[in-house]
Parts: sequence; structure tokens; C-alpha cells
Amino acid sequence: MTPAVVAEHLDKVYRVKVRDPGLGGALRALVHPRYEEVRAVADVSFEVGRGEIVAFLGPNGAGKTTTLKMLAGLLYPTAGRASVAGFTPWTGGAAFKRRIALVLGNKQQLLWDLPPEETFQLNQAIYNIPLPLYRQRHDELVELLGLGPLLDKPVRQLSLGERMKCELTAALLHGPEILFLDEPTLGLDVIAQESIRGFLETYRGRFGATVLLTSHYMADVTALASRVLIINRGRLLYDGALHALVARLSPTKRIEVVLGDSVTRDRLAAFGEVQSFQFPNATLDVPREEATVASARLLAALPVLDLSIQDPPIEEVIRTAFEDAS
Amino acid sequence: MRVWWRRYAALVRSAWLVDLQYPAAIAIWMVWNVTEPAIALGIWWSIAGSGTVQGYARDDFVRYFFAVTLINQLTLAWDAWYIDRWVREGELNFRLTRPISPVHEAVSDNIAYKLRTGGAALVLWIAVACFWPAARLAWDPGRWALAALAAVLAAGIRFFNGYATGLLAFWTTRVSALMELQFGISLFLSGRIAPLSFLPPAVVSVAGVLWFPYMLAFPVEILTGAVHTTADYWHGFAGQVAWLVAWWLLYVLVWHRGLKRYGAVGG
Repeated sequence: MTPAVVAEHLDKVYRVKVRDPGLGGALRALVHPRYEEVRAVADVSFEVGRGEIVAFLGPNGAGKTTTLKMLAGLLYPTAGRASVAGFTPWTGGAAFKRRIALVLGNKQQLLWDLPPEETFQLNQAIYNIPLPLYRQRHDELVELLGLGPLLDKPVRQLSLGERMKCELTAALLHGPEILFLDEPTLGLDVIAQESIRGFLETYRGRFGATVLLTSHYMADVTALASRVLIINRGRLLYDGALHALVARLSPTKRIEVVLGDSVTRDRLAAFGEVQSFQFPNATLDVPREEATVASARLLAALPVLDLSIQDPPIEEVIRTAFEDAS
Repeated sequence: MRVWWRRYAALVRSAWLVDLQYPAAIAIWMVWNVTEPAIALGIWWSIAGSGTVQGYARDDFVRYFFAVTLINQLTLAWDAWYIDRWVREGELNFRLTRPISPVHEAVSDNIAYKLRTGGAALVLWIAVACFWPAARLAWDPGRWALAALAAVLAAGIRFFNGYATGLLAFWTTRVSALMELQFGISLFLSGRIAPLSFLPPAVVSVAGVLWFPYMLAFPVEILTGAVHTTADYWHGFAGQVAWLVAWWLLYVLVWHRGLKRYGAVGG
């Protein structure tokens, strides 16, 4: 089966005007403008299979959103090629745009002053969705996202989470096979975030859509993505499963124990590196391959009430990945 | 074709519904657009006194500036300011993912706005003409039809002029200044403050090769009866078509080149 998304050696270079501060700088920029080239994306290549959910990870300005925008056809690359749903995104035209949807967490397509239903109807006409199909998809999405009570309220009166649900509905009415989601949970509270994640998982499962998303919330990534692409300074640093990245970058596992009786810190240190100890809770890091044996020894030798083995927090792993790259 | 009718119907409907949310803003904008010709009329009314100025008596000025008000409402295009914002603030992004060009949304906004404000200006003119004979036009439906055609062409010129200028936002942040400059020049060269024939012959010659007279003065002069000969009609319509095609081509050129430079900033 051909991949849904193919990116080959994508490059994007921006020409940015620079000027010194102050009046002198402004005058010099007027007479003799200076430009700098910023390489936002550098030689990025990857493939995404149909039905996959892939997350882009990277700090601000890493090139995630620029890559996403090139794949959605908004930006022309400086070099390289891409194929999305069989089209070259930036020349794919209307036929390509019917196959994709782009949702931007910090920009909206909903008509601000009107109820969301008006945007949905407008999209029905713009995408020329046959009415019976439109009604079926509309009702399905409204039910999945629980939009019923919101449909007749002006968008400006909806909460951020409610607006994002309506944005998703507007973007999905034409049945896109590939979704590009840029920070879909940006600024949402925990409940709204979980609701959006749950919907995306259900939607992917039901319709087999391919999803590429960027997010700063690790919870989005761990809940949704089977695979991550780590980008920093425009370069692709890692492409693979999240758990494989954790195993590669974090040679230790974390054992958390709850003790029944007091023991000394020295006794604990015999089992691993003590990260924290405040009776009755203690946390130890042990080499990944020794985690099971160390746990068994702990249970046998100490008055342990509860024990859990975990990977270190994913944020730490990602931070390590960025630091290694730097 | 039916698909496009449905799309335009939906776009115009949405634009109309959005406009309905801001009736006060539209009313203020309309008053502003009526104020300028009203002031110009007051000045020329006073200068003309009981005589004429270059063949224009008071009644001629009344008809001229009522026609300026109507045609200006029907042809006014403010798209440059919107496009400038779309490009600079990334509001173009979601529009570029739709299967239709963003220009269709702008055209629909213009249709919705002009139907409302042009209709209001026409009703106002008819109401005034009922009580004030000076504001009445001679009965000539053929001339009115030609004026309507010229107004549509003029609206097209102003639209593509504004849209193409707005798209310069792909390169510069000075789009508003460029539009203000054109707006200032058009005050004289499009006949907004005085009939074109009042300008020095050299200025009229320069204006004749630019787009300004074709986006307002020509349809106004058809309506008021200042265009007489067949040659004048041909010359005027040919100028309109030429400038419409020129600005449309410029729009196409700037759009395709600009998209390649687009940075899609701001989300």
C-alpha cells in the first residue's frame, strides 16, 4: 500500500530582514536593507502510512509547523518534494484540498459572529458535499463531539474547548482522509483536552484517517501517537515509536515504593540510585535491564507496601533528546 | 455551473448574515461615504450661485453628486485592507486549504455589501427626488442600463485594483499606504470632488490613460447625461474593459508569485 504522506529532503529557507535598534538602525535599514536566511526546515524526509497517527515534537521554532504547512500545501518548499494522498501539496489544487483538512489551534475558520451551524452549511456548499452525505456526517460529528446545545449559539459566545470541537467538525464534514492538526488542544483545560483526544482516537478508528499533529502537550502525544518525529532546528532527529525513544535515551527505569516501616536511606541505596526519599515514599532509578531483579530484591528485603516500575517522565526524555542534539 | 451558483449563494448569504451583526458600523461607514459628496455639492452649489460653472448649474451639480454617491457605493472596494491582514496575520491559511480560491469569498463579500449599501443609496436618491425636482434624472432607461453596465465594470476595476494591491502584502507592509495614496489621487482623477472636465486639459489627458476615471467618473457621466456620442461610449467602455483586464492580469500574476513567497505566519 502506498504511504499517505511522503516527504523527501524537504527544505524551507526564509529570507528575513534584519535591522539594528534605534533611529540610526531604522535609517540604515531604509538605505541599505540587510537580509538573513533562516533555514526553518532542513533536509527532512519521512513517510506516514495510511491510518497512522504521527506526532511532531520539538521546541518552539523547531520547524514542526512549517513542515506541516508544506504538507498541507500552504507553503512552497525551497527544495525537496512531497506527496500527500498522491498529490504534490502545493500544486494539488482543489482535488487535493478535498482530501485533507488543516486545523490550527490558534486560528479559526468559524464565522465569529454566527452560530457554528452557519460555517458548517457554508462548507457544505464550498466542498460541494451531497446533502444526504452532509447530513449523515454532520449528525455523526455532532453526536461524537456532543455539539447539540452549541449549534445555535454565536461562536464568540462559546468557550475555547467548544470552539475547537466546532472547528474540528467544520474541518471534517467533507470527509478528509488526512488530517493536519497544529496544536489542537492549545489553551484548553484538562477536561477539554481529554475530550478532543478521545474524539480524535474514535474518529481515526472509525474512518481510518491518517493524522499528523503537532502539540506541546505530551499527554496528546502519548495518548494518540503510535510514532513520533522529533524535529529541532529544522532537522529530523528521530523517527520511530515513543517507547523505543524512551528505551534509547533513558537507560534507567524508575521504581517507586511505599514502605511499611522506616528504613535508612543507605539501605535503599543498595538497590539503586535514590532520587527522593521521604518516609514512607521513596523513588529509585535502576538500570533498565535490572529493574525486575531489583524490584524482587526490594520486595524480599524491605517492608514494602506498594511498588511500581515506570519509565521516567516523557518530558525528561524529550528534553534529553533536544539536549543531545544541541 | 450549478455548483458555483450554490457556492456563491452560500458565501453571499454568510457575508450578509455577518453584516447584519454590525448594522451601526455599516450605517456609519455609509454616512461617511455620503458626507464627502455632500460637502463637495455644498461647495459647488455655493460657487455656482444663480449662474453656471463650466456649463454646470446648481441642478446639474445636484444630479452629479447624487450619481457620485450611488456609483461610489456600488463600486467601493476595501479588500486591500482585508487581504493585507489575511497575509500578515496568517488568516489566509485556512482559506488556502479550501478547494476554492479566496478571491471568491472577497467577491461575495462585495456583492453582499453593495446590494445593501447601493440599495440604500438608490432608495435615498429616489426618496429625495420625489420632493426635490433638481435631483431627478431625465427618463432614459437605455442610458440607465448602460450606466449599470459601466458601474459593474467599474466595480470590477476597483475590486481587482484593491485585491492586487492588497496582495502586495506578500512583499511589503506598506499596503495601506499604497491604498491611501491611490485614494488621494482618485479624489481628483476619478471625479469625486468635481467633474473631470473641471480639471486642466493636461491633467485630464493624464487621467485618461489611468484607471481612475473608469472606476467612477465614466458611469456617473453616463447617468447624468454628460456622455453623448457613440464614440464617447466606445472609448469609455473600451477603457473600462482594458483596465479591468489589466488589473485582473495583475491580480493573477501577483497571486501566483506571492503564494510562492508566503510565510503562512501566525498559525
